[in-house]
This record gives sequence, structure tokens and C-alpha cells, in this order.
Amino acid sequence: MEAKFTGSKDYVASEELMAAVDVAVALQKPLLIKGEPGTGKTMLAEAISQSMDKELLIWNIKSTTKAQDGLYVYDTIQRLYDSQFGEEGVDDIAHYIKLGKLGEAFRSEKQVILLIDEIDKADLEFPNDLLWELDKMEFYIHETKETIKANERPIVIITSNAEKELPDAFLRRCIFHYITFPDREQMTEIIHAHFENLEENVLKNALDTFYWIRSVRDVRKKPSTSELIDWIRALLISGIDSEHLREKLPFLGVLLKKDEDLEAVNKAKLY
Amino acid sequence: MFLEFFYTLKAKGLDVSMTEWLTLMEALDKGLIGSDFSNFYYISRMILVKSESDYDKYDMAFMEFFHDIQSENELSEELRKWLDKGDDMEFDKQNQELYSFNQQRNADEVKRMFRERISEQNSEHNGGNHWIGTSGGSAFGHHGRNVGGIRVGEQGGMQSAFQVMGERKYQDFRNDRVLNMRQYQVAFRRLRQYSSRLDVPKTELDIDKTIEKTCDNGGYLQLEFDRPRKNTVKLLLLFDCGGTMIPFMELCNELFQAVHKANHFKDVKTYYFHNCIYSKVYKTAECEVGDWVDLDYLFKHYDKDYKVIIVGDAQMAPEELLDPNGNYRGPNDGHSGYEWCQLLNSKYKKCVWMNPRYHKELTRMHWMESEDKLSKLFHMYTLSVDGLKEAITYLLKNK
Repeated sequence: MEAKFTGSKDYVASEELMAAVDVAVALQKPLLIKGEPGTGKTMLAEAISQSMDKELLIWNIKSTTKAQDGLYVYDTIQRLYDSQFGEEGVDDIAHYIKLGKLGEAFRSEKQVILLIDEIDKADLEFPNDLLWELDKMEFYIHETKETIKANERPIVIITSNAEKELPDAFLRRCIFHYITFPDREQMTEIIHAHFENLEENVLKNALDTFYWIRSVRDVRKKPSTSELIDWIRALLISGIDSEHLREKLPFLGVLLKKDEDLEAVNKAKLY
Repeated sequence: MFLEFFYTLKAKGLDVSMTEWLTLMEALDKGLIGSDFSNFYYISRMILVKSESDYDKYDMAFMEFFHDIQSENELSEELRKWLDKGDDMEFDKQNQELYSFNQQRNADEVKRMFRERISEQNSEHNGGNHWIGTSGGSAFGHHGRNVGGIRVGEQGGMQSAFQVMGERKYQDFRNDRVLNMRQYQVAFRRLRQYSSRLDVPKTELDIDKTIEKTCDNGGYLQLEFDRPRKNTVKLLLLFDCGGTMIPFMELCNELFQAVHKANHFKDVKTYYFHNCIYSKVYKTAECEVGDWVDLDYLFKHYDKDYKVIIVGDAQMAPEELLDPNGNYRGPNDGHSGYEWCQLLNSKYKKCVWMNPRYHKELTRMHWMESEDKLSKLFHMYTLSVDGLKEAITYLLKNK
């Protein structure tokens, strides 16, 4: 493949992750990304789209999403409604076929990046229902007897929070990458990508405090990268002296979202 | 040679399919991997392994299959180099004296020990004197004080892959590890997964299908029904709060939280018991005498479709289980604990016992008599991700 993924200005990718993207593109397989919330799974697709200069289509999956929604929707109600009033075009079914995100991706003239976000939120059978479509990159519209085939095979990125187990048949067709929580070194790099000219001591103090909070045993919902970035931003805007971050813990609510966790950290601070 | 790797993976319990193997071959063909060994490690992992819980197994298999290559070429060379120029190394002068005996080992001996140790070691070790790790006095590892050892890991090509494996940093994700909260929650979601496939009559109006059929029918209404997708699982949880369970309190607390956070159950009832189930169960984990309800109350109010999950270590003196006066904290009401358990088991269609220290594979010992008896009465599983999955599969099985 000519276009290599090397991370982007705002997104720091580990070598492993970059290799995974390249392999998925070269082998024309969907790339399945798993990891703790806040490790940048969704941002990855944006970064790939930027660095490869390709359009990004996002299909957000909800608990009610069905596989069919991604292909096309036949708006029967609209048609029924129109027919009662004798609207024009009722006899043309194609008029009432609306393509979903997957359909759009297939129809596109240029190669696009399709992000299927949080696939595990949907019904358990959902991934299985998409096997054929993702394999062959085509589907059939019964109503119009038309086959939609991808002009350019889209690059498919799928994210999962591991809420549900994904079916084996589906997994076998994917390239899998697990994003581990960034260590200090990587985190420094990530922070630098988001903040230019951040003072060294602010960064150091913020990271010290951040990793300390993560290490407090009773904290249930550990703060993640995105929360750290928000926190540093809040610190910068308020202009708080970073010397005593650990003792004062300003804007703790940005990092921790649960009352119990706030309490746990405040308690741990005393020791 | 590569096909053997496939079987090594299989032998380690990784479910690698032919499709995935062929995909790896394709990647090799296309030259995606190149000649970089650590690249091979990552790429074959991303193609063959589909769950972070299997990363550790993969590391083990990889290590077993490829570690000969490493120790015989790269490492022994490294080793020789290091033994030759010990002077250049940075080390703690004080500790050098302390550990100087290590330096007298010859290369072969160290290598042999390395192999032995690599097969024994099962976690990351930093700062010790024996295992392979960092900043220690052991003969193996890096950033250590020992000048005459093998450096394992650190930067550069082939070794970095071994460093990752050596650290076994995915060990925490293993399925058979005792559960944590999140894993509990995920496991409990399975209890919903199967329940939507329950065999119930089609009672819910399927609007989409109705419209579609009506349209097909030329505008004449044709109703379509579907199975309700609601979860029908009702749970009755019984926790052991006896003294022997104290080491597992946190674990039980997490299980408890996970069940209550999972809002997909139709109903969840929780009661507690002390050591064994007798005629009364307690309302709170403190198990205060008097703050209880009769087991009969449970039988009356919660029908036989409740799925019963008992969490306990089944550790008690045989008389506590079998003697009709075995309950030293409350009444027995004429039955022994074992009989009460039998009653419970016969009332409810599905009962499982989750045991945090289940001695499943061990030969039966005298002190296990109670556990032995209870494990014959109830379906007993280890309190781990795999155990819980097995238990849930059993709970959802028809019949």
C-alpha cells in the first residue's frame, strides 16, 4: 500500500498500532480496536482519515441499531403515506430506498474510511449479520433488485468496548488490536501533541498526580487520557500554580466522575 | 516450521482457525512482515489472536516455540560480549561485592540457568536476585547489578519482542484469573444474551413487519408478532459471610456490585448466610442474629424460576453441615444444613455454587468432606471468569 499510516499531529500512535493499520489496509480486512474507554479508539479513525487524506464516514452503533440500518432503509411508511395522497413517484420504489452508512461507503467514488463505532453496543447477532457485506463489500436491495457493490473497498475500522463478546466467525475475519493504557513516556508524547509549549514542570506534576490517582486502589472509574487532557486544559486556563497539585487537587471533578471516587482520592491524599 | 507454530498455539489453548492462519500466510507473502522478528510477533498476534485475554497464552506459545532461536544465536553472542567487557558496565559498586559470586559462573552455566528460569518464571520481576527482571541482582535481566548475567529484553529488533513476552504484561487479562469487577459485569451480560433466545410465545406486535406485510398485501392489514426481547432472568443470590470467606470479601463485593449494576435482570434478591445455609438466611452481610428471614419465606415468595447463585467456599466442619444441631449461630428447625441445602436445590430449577477456593482437581482429603458433599449436591464452579461462564451456561440451559 502506498499510503502508510504514521499517526497524525494530534494523535500519537504506538508502533504496534501503526503496523496493525497497515496490515489491515494491505490485507483488506476490517481492523477491530479494543481498549479501555478513553484510550483514543474513536480518534484513531479520524487520525487515519487525516493522514491518508480520505473521507471518514462514521456509523455510530446504538443498542437498537440493526445491521440492515447500515445497508439501506426502505421507508415504507412514507410510501404508504404518499400513496394515499397520490404523490408523484410512489410507483418508484427506489425513491424510498435510503442508503445507510455502509451503503454510502460502497457508493462513494473514492476510497473512504468507515468507522463502525462501538459495535458491541448492538444486539449480539449484529456482527454476524454484517459478515457477508464486509467480506464481499456488496449487498442486494430486494425491493429494487439492485446490487450495491463497493467501487473502492473502504477501509473499515471497528471499535469495541468489550461489553459483549463478539462472535467467533466475525472475529476470524478481523485484524485485532488491543490498545493498552499508555505508559508515562507515551503519555508525555500524547500530551505534547495536544499542547504546544507546555511547561515541563506542569507536565511532570500533572502526570505524577494523574498516575497517582490511577493507582489509588478504591478508584472505580479510573481517569483516562481524554480526561487528563481536559484536566490539563482546565489547569492552564485557570493559571493555577502546579507546584502543589498533589496536595490541592484542583478541578478533581474533571478527572473523576463518581462521588465515591472523589472521596476515595481525598481520603488517600491524607496518608 | 511455521505449521508447527500453528500447532504450538493450538496446544496452548488458542483457538486459531485455518482462515486466520491463511491470512497470516497472505501477510507473509505480501511482505508485510519483512525480516523484522518483533514485527512478526506483533503481526501474527494481531491476525491470530482476537482477545486480549489470550495475549498471555500467545506470549507463552511464542516463547516456547521461538526461544531456542533466541538463546542460541543472539543471546549467547550477547552473553559472550558481556562477559568479556564487564568493566564497561555501570553497576552499583557496593552491590558488586555482595553479588560477586555470580560473576564466577561460566557462560554455559548461566545459559542453562536462564533456560531453566525462563520456563519457571511466570511474572515480571524487578529488583530481586533470582528471577529475570530489571534492576536486580539476578544473573538475568537488564539494568541490574550483576555483571556476569544475561541481559534479557531492552531495545533492538528481535529482543524487544522477547521483552514484551518476558514481561507477560497481558497476564492480567487471562480468563482463568480470578475475576475483577468489570469482568464480572461482562460475564453477567451473558446471562442476558441467552435469555433473549428463550422459547416464549410470540406476543409482541412487530410494527415494521406488520407494515411491510400490509404493504405487500395491497393495503389490507396483516399483523405480525414477534417474541418479546425482555430479559426474563430472575436471580436469587446467597453469599457466605463466614470467617473463612474474609479473604474473598472484596471479590464477593465486586460480584455483588456487578450484579446490581447490571440492570438487565428482571429481579435480583440477595441474602446472606454464615458458613452453611440453615433454616434462616440473613438480610445483611453482617449476619446479625435476628435480622433474618426463613428459608421458607424465600420458597414462598420467589418461585422456582429464580436462578440461584450461592457464593461460598464450602469450608466447614462436617458436623456443621450434617448434624441437625450443627448451626451454632441460630436455629436449625429440625434439619441439618445439608438437608436445608437439599430443600433449596429441589425447590429451584437452577442452582449453582460459586466457590472461590474450589478444589476441583484435587484428590479428596478429609477436611474437604463438606465441600465434597456440597459439590455433589450443587453444580459447583470456581469463582473465576471461566467458572462464571460455565455456571451461566448451565443456568441458561433448558432442562
